[in-house]
Amino acid sequence: MAESVHKELVAPSDTRHLVRIREIVRDVASHCLETSCVNRVILAVDEAVANVMEHAYEEEPEPGDIRIALMADDNRFEIVITDTGREFNPQTIEVPDMAEHVKQGRRNGLGLFLMRQIMDEVSYTFVQGLRNELRMVKYARKPIEGGQ
Amino acid sequence: MPELNIQTKPLRDDAYLFTLEGFLDAHTFEQLDETIQSIFEKNVFNIVADMTGVEYISSAGAGVFIGSLSVAQEGGGNIVLVNPTENVREVFDLLGLSQIFMIEPDIDAALAKF
Repeated sequence: MAESVHKELVAPSDTRHLVRIREIVRDVASHCLETSCVNRVILAVDEAVANVMEHAYEEEPEPGDIRIALMADDNRFEIVITDTGREFNPQTIEVPDMAEHVKQGRRNGLGLFLMRQIMDEVSYTFVQGLRNELRMVKYARKPIEGGQ
Repeated sequence: MPELNIQTKPLRDDAYLFTLEGFLDAHTFEQLDETIQSIFEKNVFNIVADMTGVEYISSAGAGVFIGSLSVAQEGGGNIVLVNPTENVREVFDLLGLSQIFMIEPDIDAALAKF
């Protein structure tokens, strides 16, 4: 049976916690992914969490928490990010035309673009009145041991 | 230790050097944004950003350069990035920004672009 690593944390919706979250992602993702891939996955998660911190609770008097569940086994790294803020469906965000973005000085939509580029699976669930749930998966592609 | 350290100094009458160290993310990007705006307010639109000490950049950090580039160019200047680490370079590659921004190995090479 494959060994797996699980970690779960609850962070306040405040960008000052991003550094610590990136460290935790590195710790778990390193279980199955190579260093260069771990760095990209950290970026994808950072983008997702920062999106929640900046937008999910912006219409509420008190920011809520973000729940982050991480898992890695020999084959994949998986993260589920849950918040109780307003609905945000990443499927509605278009892929940016970067030349046009720069021309107009626009900055939005880049995080989601990176998440889709880096992760193998990005899926979103919204449960009305309860939560947003973003799930992302990155599969390990390690060389087969003993292979040529 | 601050998460982002920014030092600025004039290189010429029309150009400023930004030396950046640390993390350029959703928590720190406004610090850089405000510093760049303060240079634009001096009517200086050529910026050399020494990225040697930037350990991490997210889209929020890259977004500051995206948002500032058109302002710099409208003012007759430009933004040149110097010596980004492999991690930072990869983010620019992923975003397709490596073809849009000038990236140079050192400050002299960057200054020669203005």
